[in-house]
Amino acid sequence: MRRAMRHRGAIVKYPLLLAVTFVGLLPYYWMVTCSLKTNANMFLVPLQWIPNPVNWSAYGEAWRAQDFTRYFLNTGFVAIAITAGNLLLASLAGYSLCKFRYFGRGALFLMILSTMMLPLEVTMVPLFLIVKTLHWPNTYEGLIVPFLVDGFGVFLMRQYLKSIPNELIEAARIDGASEFRIFFQIIIPLCKPALAALGVFTFREAWDMYIWPLIIVTKDSLRTLPLGISLFMSSFGTAWDQLMAVATIGTLPMILLFFFLQRSFIQGIAISGLKE
Amino acid sequence: MTWRRLLSTLAVLVFLLAVGGPSTGTAAAFPTENVTIEIWWHEYGPFTAYVKQLIEAYKKLHSNVTINATIASSTDMNQKLTVALAAGTGPDIMDADASYYVAYHAKGVLEPANLDVFGVKSYEELANRYVTGGLASGTFDGKIYTLPYQGNSMSLFLNNKLFAEAGLDPKKDAPKTWSDLMALCPKLKKVDGKRTVRKAFEFPYHSPRWQLQDLQPMTEQFGGKILSDDGKTAYLNGPATVKALTLWRDVTKACGDPKNTKNTASNPNQDYVDGFTAMWITGPWATPQVQASPIKNDFTVVGFPQVDPAKPHTMVYGWAWGVNKNRPEPNKLVAWDFVRFMLSKPDEWLAKAGFVQPVKGVAETDVARKFPFFDVHMKDVQTASWYVRSENVNEIAQAVGRAVDAVVYDGADPKAQLDAAQASIDKVLKK
Amino acid sequence: MQGWPRIGKILVGAIATAEPRAPRPRFRLNLSAKQALFGYAILLPTVAILVIFRFLPMLQAFYFSLHEYDLIRPARFVGLENFIDLVQDPLFLNSARVSIAYVVLSCVPVWVLSLALAVLFNREIRAKNLFRSAAFMPVVMPMVVNAVVWTFMYHQDGVVNTILAWFGVDPIPWLRSSTWALWAVILIGIWRATPYYMVIFLAGLQAIPNEYYEAAKIDGADAWTEFRHITLPLLKPTTLLVMVMSVIVAMKVFAVPLIMTGGGPADSTRVLPLFIYQTAFEFFKMGRAAAMSVFLFAAVMVFTLFQIRLFSGGED
Repeated sequence: MRRAMRHRGAIVKYPLLLAVTFVGLLPYYWMVTCSLKTNANMFLVPLQWIPNPVNWSAYGEAWRAQDFTRYFLNTGFVAIAITAGNLLLASLAGYSLCKFRYFGRGALFLMILSTMMLPLEVTMVPLFLIVKTLHWPNTYEGLIVPFLVDGFGVFLMRQYLKSIPNELIEAARIDGASEFRIFFQIIIPLCKPALAALGVFTFREAWDMYIWPLIIVTKDSLRTLPLGISLFMSSFGTAWDQLMAVATIGTLPMILLFFFLQRSFIQGIAISGLKE
Repeated sequence: MTWRRLLSTLAVLVFLLAVGGPSTGTAAAFPTENVTIEIWWHEYGPFTAYVKQLIEAYKKLHSNVTINATIASSTDMNQKLTVALAAGTGPDIMDADASYYVAYHAKGVLEPANLDVFGVKSYEELANRYVTGGLASGTFDGKIYTLPYQGNSMSLFLNNKLFAEAGLDPKKDAPKTWSDLMALCPKLKKVDGKRTVRKAFEFPYHSPRWQLQDLQPMTEQFGGKILSDDGKTAYLNGPATVKALTLWRDVTKACGDPKNTKNTASNPNQDYVDGFTAMWITGPWATPQVQASPIKNDFTVVGFPQVDPAKPHTMVYGWAWGVNKNRPEPNKLVAWDFVRFMLSKPDEWLAKAGFVQPVKGVAETDVARKFPFFDVHMKDVQTASWYVRSENVNEIAQAVGRAVDAVVYDGADPKAQLDAAQASIDKVLKK
Repeated sequence: MQGWPRIGKILVGAIATAEPRAPRPRFRLNLSAKQALFGYAILLPTVAILVIFRFLPMLQAFYFSLHEYDLIRPARFVGLENFIDLVQDPLFLNSARVSIAYVVLSCVPVWVLSLALAVLFNREIRAKNLFRSAAFMPVVMPMVVNAVVWTFMYHQDGVVNTILAWFGVDPIPWLRSSTWALWAVILIGIWRATPYYMVIFLAGLQAIPNEYYEAAKIDGADAWTEFRHITLPLLKPTTLLVMVMSVIVAMKVFAVPLIMTGGGPADSTRVLPLFIYQTAFEFFKMGRAAAMSVFLFAAVMVFTLFQIRLFSGGED
């Protein structure tokens, strides 16, 4: 009886799972296969699901058309810096907000939350004025520092850190450990999954930044990848194969990061999503 | 024969002197100290390549000048420039569509043209080097603030092969009026069941600006205007505009299929170069793109379709160079000099960048002669009014685009839609 | 503004002191001043950066809302004029309507689908990790790439229509129809958000102790009753989190409408953040744009507070 039920379940489960996988991966598949098609075959009716002939030249052509290597490195540097900053500062802040008590804690948390509620487009002009006063336009500082920590990261870390038992911290204190030692040697190792999750998200947002670099970057040497892609689109009409090639390359770091951190990442979101 | 040759040589000489002439006096001396200027322009393949070459060439002439370039896509450029100007920064030389300069001038960020640099004694003299009205869009209070590096008319491009397939001759059967055009559509439009296999003609839908660029001359052809000359009154729901929008709708029903397209904001000509539409209105700058496509040279260009060929109305628009007022004096002088340098060879400009400067004498150069259908483009320039000039040009374009989309996609009533557009723009203009 | 302190208190109370209700021996932290100081110190860099680069610009944006400011000429104080104008402006009201439509039509399916998928993934599955990773991929794609690839997929003869044709559906003019364009944007939103919330729900499901289900089985409950009376109630905190987060994110959506449709056709995809951006940078009306963002901010705040209120009353 049990086995029959399991079979029945399987008939529903696996097709559903396959459908979900198909839907989840479809745009990726399309992006990659179109980058390998010739422009003539791009809009065939009916669609060409498998590129034939396979044409690799788009990658080389697109890459050479602009200084994509430079953009790639810029974006990488900025994204890594922002991610590192977020990981450190958000975990410190989250730790502070849930394991310590002090006057104004609630209000400060509220203020931090409120910064998440408006889109960047709205605060962009005042932010630019501030950055200009600091002489940061056209610098890496201007690209990185305003985003070194984000309310979302604080929120995520705080949620996760709440689940760490206070007894652990108390015990370490009684043993005479300094606060910083507690943080780096006990807390941090315990929240690896949350850090992985935050790391992947922050990296994605930082990799993706478009409007802000557009506004403050004028030197070509500082341009980021999304800007390069946008510029590329307006060059001479869209060479779709080259655009898809650039898109694929632009997505690779994210995919690699995800694959390496997968387990921790998913665990991190999951546990921080739990309000015990 | 000899007379003709003499005259054209004379014309070329006059033209070369007028435009390429070296600055006579150096009343304000060219700076000897190191000067660094910044120039921003919007991306377009051949154009970008050419300006970069010019920068290199200028550096050889003036080794104390460094020119830093920033390039952004045309859609991004406006936002970038506005924020920069808002913060008091911004480049020495800016690149914007002529219609935006109304706003920038009103905001006091533009420096008038340096007469000494151009070797003229008055603004009229400078204006005379250009075709009539060529500098109108950059002239405010009698002073010239911007110089256009393109004066693009919009004309009708035909696909010869598709015409031939339909048994038509692109030379003899080319439409002159909208009625002519609609008459061709049954032969050129191919439908297979519910799918449109090929369109005969299409209006643009990827950008409200392109829509207004077509609706404006159509309105004028019916005897009306979009905006008053002082920019304070709009006539979006005037009888001429309503007729124009109604015509747009009727032409679309007979000839096009807006739901089916590969055009995007970054590639408006895609349907045409793919052979997906047989007729398409675009500018001379599209020529290199067409030649690089499967169409190659198998195309014809004729004038923008008219309601009454005896009273032609067309439209011209263009991007122009402007100089930032809030920069040091040496910068401004060098900036204008570099602008002069860039624009000094309109034939090369046409050949390398694909843009037509609205200066006198361009049409007589060799390059122009070799440029496909140059005479057609120039004729449309001559009968043209400049694209709407107003601080609120974007809002007007959006209001018009909204009306066009509603009429075409939702079958809404043109008058009602234009009434709504007029109401929204009235509020804007009243302020 | 009588109600503000009270609402503020509720919010602060709900967030700052929300502790698990389950009976657990609690160790109170040693409230020495030294520790409080440490707490302040490690919070300081975060607060400093957020105040300077996010909070202050936000306040300045609100300040702009009381002015007429075209970004270049000096700002001119106009009091509440912007707000009064907006409330009567059909374009703003349309934008608000589009945003609300987008939020409702994308979030509700996300809630349902992500919960359903979480239930699915909670079962015994071979190669679960593989399937789960594949299902999670939508979250990983960068936004600009996302918008570009989907624009391509929405072509008349593109992938989406081809797949629809397998089910006998006629091709839909996705990006060239004032009826369908918003759905095109919504679909992308759902595609992207579902896996993320699925994982959160999955964790919530896995935290429900098995004893409850076993007890229910003994009592003869069927799957549906189990779901209604055990699963859903115990998922309450998780559901609250998913709802609040998904709405906040949905209200800020910007890149896809900007790149894919520009707000058209006929304003059908002109969500509020996009309209704000265009009002500031294409129409040069920063004051008005700021006023709109005040409305946006207020809407998000109200919704968040409402949700928290709804869910924190009646914890059993």
